[in-house]
Amino acid sequence: MTVHLHLALLSLARHRARTGLAVLGVAVAAAMLLDMVMLSSGMRESFGTLLESRGFSIRLAPRGTLPFDTEATIANASEIVAMLSRNPDVAAVSPVLGATVHVVDGARRSTAFALGVDVAVQGDYEVERGRDASSDDGFVANEEFVQATGVRLGDTLTLATAYSPQLRSYSGERRVVLTGIARFLYMSRGQSAVALPLTTLQAMGGAERRDRASLFMVGVRDGAIADTVQRWIEREIPRVDAISTREALARVDERLAYFRQMALILGGVSLLVGFLLVTTLVTVSVNQRVGEIAVQRAIGVSRSHVVQQIVVESLVISALGAALGLALGLVTARWLNAILASFPGLPTAIDFFLFQPRAAWTALVLLVLSGILAGVYPSWRAASLPIARTLREEAVA
Amino acid sequence: MALLPILTLALALQGTTRTIAIDERLAADAGLRVGDRIVVASEPGGAGDTVIIAAITARTADPSEIARDEYRVRLHLDHLQQVIGYGDRVDRFAVATPDASATDRALDAINDVAFGFRAHRSQDVAIETSQTFRVVSRFHRAIGVITIVASAIFLLCILLLKVDERRRDVAALRLVGISRRTVLGAVVLEAAFIAFVGSLAGTGIGGLASAAVNAYYQAHYRTPLRFSIVTPDIVILAAVLSITLGIVAGTLAALRLVRARPLALLGR
Repeated sequence: MTVHLHLALLSLARHRARTGLAVLGVAVAAAMLLDMVMLSSGMRESFGTLLESRGFSIRLAPRGTLPFDTEATIANASEIVAMLSRNPDVAAVSPVLGATVHVVDGARRSTAFALGVDVAVQGDYEVERGRDASSDDGFVANEEFVQATGVRLGDTLTLATAYSPQLRSYSGERRVVLTGIARFLYMSRGQSAVALPLTTLQAMGGAERRDRASLFMVGVRDGAIADTVQRWIEREIPRVDAISTREALARVDERLAYFRQMALILGGVSLLVGFLLVTTLVTVSVNQRVGEIAVQRAIGVSRSHVVQQIVVESLVISALGAALGLALGLVTARWLNAILASFPGLPTAIDFFLFQPRAAWTALVLLVLSGILAGVYPSWRAASLPIARTLREEAVA
Repeated sequence: MALLPILTLALALQGTTRTIAIDERLAADAGLRVGDRIVVASEPGGAGDTVIIAAITARTADPSEIARDEYRVRLHLDHLQQVIGYGDRVDRFAVATPDASATDRALDAINDVAFGFRAHRSQDVAIETSQTFRVVSRFHRAIGVITIVASAIFLLCILLLKVDERRRDVAALRLVGISRRTVLGAVVLEAAFIAFVGSLAGTGIGGLASAAVNAYYQAHYRTPLRFSIVTPDIVILAAVLSITLGIVAGTLAALRLVRARPLALLGR
């Protein structure tokens, strides 16, 4: 093998420009392949990790809707929480109410998305500074809200849940104190968000939001089967859709089918381009060395050795291209991810291009296989050369 | 004659039942047809209102509807206001103007007297709401750049090999007295011709691929939207790029050949 590798390197070094270009071509194809493998599974993995990050594996939304897809809410929230909590397989229930709130105070006028949560079991944010909004008049906000309003920890603000443009007046007002700065897991880049105790936000919304929730997040006990709990919920509460993480991922898959299909097509094209490039290069290289190969065969070098030598040559090009391409792929993946991360409404924690060792291995294995396949035709051609005729023709030439 | 009161009653009931239009996807998925009676409500399980389907509408080529699985139902304004308890309110007004200057005047006039709302140009609203498509467009452009780089390297490599294969022919031409300049010109012309033929074939393949993409995604998303369009600009860019690369690769490879001694090209 060492001899074959040595001979392959010598052969490739003979045409440095050609080899360099081929390696570069394979590298770009490999980079594209890695990116597309990352794209095909990245979004799904990233979204799945985000959904499961706080231990809630089932989401309840008003029937026929997805969480926060519409302004529909679920009535009798406290009754649902009590009912769900009675199921021994349910570990935690987190009711969430979503609303738009207006900052009423003079210079700080702004709007933000508000979540009404049960702070003891919430799974929507992580407090980074200060403390959670444990009292009825406390709230936590994200950095975007802090920047937009200039508010600081301990400041008191007036928030309102409704604004009438005709009368230019607010309703559902409440004086609240900023107790903590938090990172909201499901908010998109640049979106101002606050979280208040559920009862506070329900009270601010008046009769329209009394005892209502937009969403329930349900955590399942260790050992319990989420699908069984999901079916039980749908049977017991027919006015809601119970969506398991698996189903949510399936719906994401469906919505993002375009990106997966594009990844598949472009990944396939990249692999084909790399394969054709290596095949062409090695075939031309063999054509130029037919005399040399015939001499090797004439002095007793076996067919299998010739085949191995040619296959190793194509493998070396593929391996060098793959190594360069995988590094290049990581750079281009960051660039492409930065572009797609600016999708409006996409949670900041979501990545389209998620690096996973499995993705790199998949790309590498595909490239190695294509490298071996690329060497098959030229090596077969080299091995099946008629020795005497080739030597005579080469001598005449 | 005895049927007359019943018929009159049926016609009267028909007259009081409101009509709606639904989109073709909803009709197909729910098995609904014109004339069917259904209940529309503002929330799941709500009391709602029984209506008659009067029309089934085709989907427009609107990219904003692609990724959403929503069904569209059209009601008369007063009917919708009544069903959702919205009172005499609307979310927006669309105002038609005869030309651009009239749009400016109307915009100023409305914003001068409006209390509690603002008028915006449709174009500005479209720009504001088309962020998703701009992101997708930027992503496609980035993928396009990578593809062009990969294709350029591939093309360069193939043409270098192609020209390099001619080393014996070049040596023979040089040995019979053909000048370097003529040999160079011939090789470059050949490379350009191959690139030109390749770009023609590529345009054909691109056109077929585009048609396949449109056929697949139009069926998948049930929309008349065209997902892939091969424009003359794209064809010109592809052709110019491949011919330029062909000439560059041909020139580089040919220069190497004509600078070498003819006998060296023959391996002696």
